[in-house]
Amino acid sequence: MTENVDLKLLIGGPQGGGIESAGQIVLKSLVLKGYQVIGTREYQSNIIGAHSYFTIRARAERPGAIHFPVDAATLLDAESIFTHFQDVKPGGFIIYDKSAVNTKLRLIAPMPKPLKQRLEEFFKSRGLEPVAGSALKVAEENGVKLIGLPMKDLVRSVAKEAGAPLSRAGKTVNTMGLTAMLYFSGVEPSWIEKAINVHFAAKKKVADMNVLASKLAVEYIDDTYGGPCCFLPEGPNLGKEVMLVTGNEIVAIGKAVGGLTMQTYYPITPASDEALFLEGHRNLDLAPWAEEALHLKRIGSVVLQTEDELSAIIAALGAAAAGARVATSTSGPGFALMNEAISLAIMAELPVVITVWMRGGPSTGLPTREGQQDLLHAMFSGHGDNPKIVLASGDHVEAYYDAAKALNWAEKYQTPVIHLLDKYLASTVTNIHREEIDPLKITIERGKLVENPGPDYKRYQITEDGISPRAPMGKTTMVITGLEHTEDGMPTEDPVVREQMMAKRRRKFETIAKEIPASEKVVLHGDPDAKVTIVSWGSTKPIILEALKLLEADGVKANFLQIRLFQPFPVKEVLDYLTRAETVIDVEQNDLLQAAFLIRGYTGFEIKHFVKKLTGRALWDKEVAWAVKRILEKGDREVVVSGGA
Amino acid sequence: MERSWLEYKTDAWVQWCPGCGNFGILNALHRALAELDIPPEKLAIVTGIGCSGRTCYYVKGNSMHSVHGRAIPAATGIKIANPDLVVIAEGGDGDMLGIGVEHFVSVGRRNIDITVIVHDNAVYGLTKGQAGPTLPSWWRTKALPGPNLHDNLNPLLLALASGYTFIARGYAYHVSQTKELIKKAIEHKGTSLVHILQPCPTYNNIMTKEWYEERIYYLEEENPDWDPVVTSQDEFTKKIGDIMGKMVEWGARIPLGVFYVNIAKDTFEQRLEKVIADYRKYPPAKRPVHVNGKPLIDPWTIFADKVIKT
Repeated sequence: MTENVDLKLLIGGPQGGGIESAGQIVLKSLVLKGYQVIGTREYQSNIIGAHSYFTIRARAERPGAIHFPVDAATLLDAESIFTHFQDVKPGGFIIYDKSAVNTKLRLIAPMPKPLKQRLEEFFKSRGLEPVAGSALKVAEENGVKLIGLPMKDLVRSVAKEAGAPLSRAGKTVNTMGLTAMLYFSGVEPSWIEKAINVHFAAKKKVADMNVLASKLAVEYIDDTYGGPCCFLPEGPNLGKEVMLVTGNEIVAIGKAVGGLTMQTYYPITPASDEALFLEGHRNLDLAPWAEEALHLKRIGSVVLQTEDELSAIIAALGAAAAGARVATSTSGPGFALMNEAISLAIMAELPVVITVWMRGGPSTGLPTREGQQDLLHAMFSGHGDNPKIVLASGDHVEAYYDAAKALNWAEKYQTPVIHLLDKYLASTVTNIHREEIDPLKITIERGKLVENPGPDYKRYQITEDGISPRAPMGKTTMVITGLEHTEDGMPTEDPVVREQMMAKRRRKFETIAKEIPASEKVVLHGDPDAKVTIVSWGSTKPIILEALKLLEADGVKANFLQIRLFQPFPVKEVLDYLTRAETVIDVEQNDLLQAAFLIRGYTGFEIKHFVKKLTGRALWDKEVAWAVKRILEKGDREVVVSGGA
Repeated sequence: MERSWLEYKTDAWVQWCPGCGNFGILNALHRALAELDIPPEKLAIVTGIGCSGRTCYYVKGNSMHSVHGRAIPAATGIKIANPDLVVIAEGGDGDMLGIGVEHFVSVGRRNIDITVIVHDNAVYGLTKGQAGPTLPSWWRTKALPGPNLHDNLNPLLLALASGYTFIARGYAYHVSQTKELIKKAIEHKGTSLVHILQPCPTYNNIMTKEWYEERIYYLEEENPDWDPVVTSQDEFTKKIGDIMGKMVEWGARIPLGVFYVNIAKDTFEQRLEKVIADYRKYPPAKRPVHVNGKPLIDPWTIFADKVIKT
């Protein structure tokens, strides 16, 4: 029975109103019940008051994308009701706060004016009062069941029973809302209570009050609706241990396992959570095999918050020059500031990983929203005709291994590695199984790091593979420089040496292109003989894999070419796969269709069909499938999809 | 055993103009390093861009020639990665106080144990004489098409406000006095500034050797009881008025010497030691990273806070 379960939930409310916690507790409840989950958060560049929401999907098999319409939604305030009343499928239900029904649309201050205007027109065209109750009525007419909670009364009961002030008890409305939604969907209260206790493990008092609130919500559902609407069987994962992590967190974990010794950063959304998570885990207990070999119990890593991104990358380069294994982490605007140092790292041959969490641009753009607009920025970053490594991860597990691999490549090839990720992956939570992130599947490589360089050590020794031995500082003397230089690092403008050094660096990139296995450059997912090939990159991977299933159910056979490595560009591999397909469709979340631009530039292959999303909201499996079908049926050149509030 | 200062010389041709103040600073630095007996392999010297940026090629050690304005963050990265190194960040007034001023300020908040040497000639030499951040307004050095419209900043006060715990000023042609200042700065535990006044015979036709030498004097010569050392907050409160008074003195008389030393503040390395396991022994550049290629940690234990047992 569990294979039929595909539960889609939404919880919305004001920022600062516990939406993040609520989403986490829902995810934990479903994980505890044995399901695999994803959850993603949409939020605004605001601390308190603006609308945000969490979308959750649970299945026996790990879901790859969120899906609309949802089966149920908890809408904690009037703005959430107005924003999501059309997001629930017929036969589903909405949990809402009864006291919100009379709230007038025009009085909702944080709501963006354009949305307000669209809603006003909507209600006017239907002859409805612009109040939250009208929105609920429309949902009801669409076959959605309405479950109003008397939040004020429930909060009073929580305060009374917990002996807490109303202001504190009021913070449990998210828990009551999510409990009502989960319980009505068939999740037993015991799982929800356990999830609350896991979530608030460090705060017993908060946990207790939320458990109490959860109980009261269950009682109310029992008394008013006679119990849950549905039965949800236990999931197949029951009894297993999983890690529930965001994309930010799994990258931090990959770096830590991959031997990172120092990370620098300057605060920026959606990157900083990665560095903060690393900092929170900077003291590392060694695994038994390492403890035994090194006779060492604990070791530390440094996470340094700098004054700006210029300092973040240059401090990382300084540490790399000293011999550390380093990374820095940022988003588009911060990466723009780092550009000069990318050139320095290439010329000075310094190993550094730059983790770039893309968000919607240009400029400050959509600081908390999705975007894949920095591919060309990464490819062409830095001045002066310079090659570098650029890779993009498709999902959590890939990002874990890529984070470790990027450190290997940086040190082996003594060059900057730009690891492209994005806001969607950053804030998407999923469960990871132990075998998926086995540390022993990672081999740490440090390349030509020489511990005992002789007195004749030359930092830029010319070699056949273009890679010079790298000595840490403190063992010998050396010169590291961004000026053109001789083998010993001394600056020179001599034309003969200039050509030799350009050739040395070129050979290094030929070595890189040769050594990286084809399987790490591109991956063809699905039937290689399919006539339709979708090409894309980054976090669209699991979404497109879900879309392939939807398409197959509709009789459309397609495969998916995922580009993993953009520089050195896998010309042969990409061309081989693309020329096999009858129809090639490029899916990207940027306006310039940046990957298609690169494909054309590197291979000469011209893609003729495109799907793009520019709203900054998560891409849905359903809209990819819809757009692909439209292209196949009508031959559209470009289909723009725009789902999501 | 004292080393010869010649050990710190390299065979590179020194490309500065004849009479450049950089020669005096370089000579003072070579001699300071020799007298402190710092092994060249334990020395890291990072420079920015400009005439003074070339210093790293003329000192035997671990040199890093970074980008314009960024010597301090590079030095910061090196020092954190390997605190056993003696780390010097060197640049001109444009590099340190113009394009890189955010780092000049921020390094003070960390009090990391590095020495910042500012070669101050009040002009951008290598780009042919534009106004630097320490050139007073309405002055017009010879390459300027008109008078300088920007006021000059006070590097010593800026360093004090930023949290530097050692602040000194020298004069490039006084090699042995400057050498002593550099020695004290290197020996000081914390962020040190040695601000060195330096004539640019090519582009600064106002602040010449004669101009400086009419004005400069040493604090301890004027006042044999001059004591810039602060050991507590109370002493700081008591002495700071006099110290700041000397820092703002600029005109007919320009004081040189050690203005301020604060030994009451912990260094960034000491702070790291308190929060990071075995930091002194295993800083980022020296800690083990793997065992025969195997990672050192199991994510399931390190990140146990993310694990849910169903």
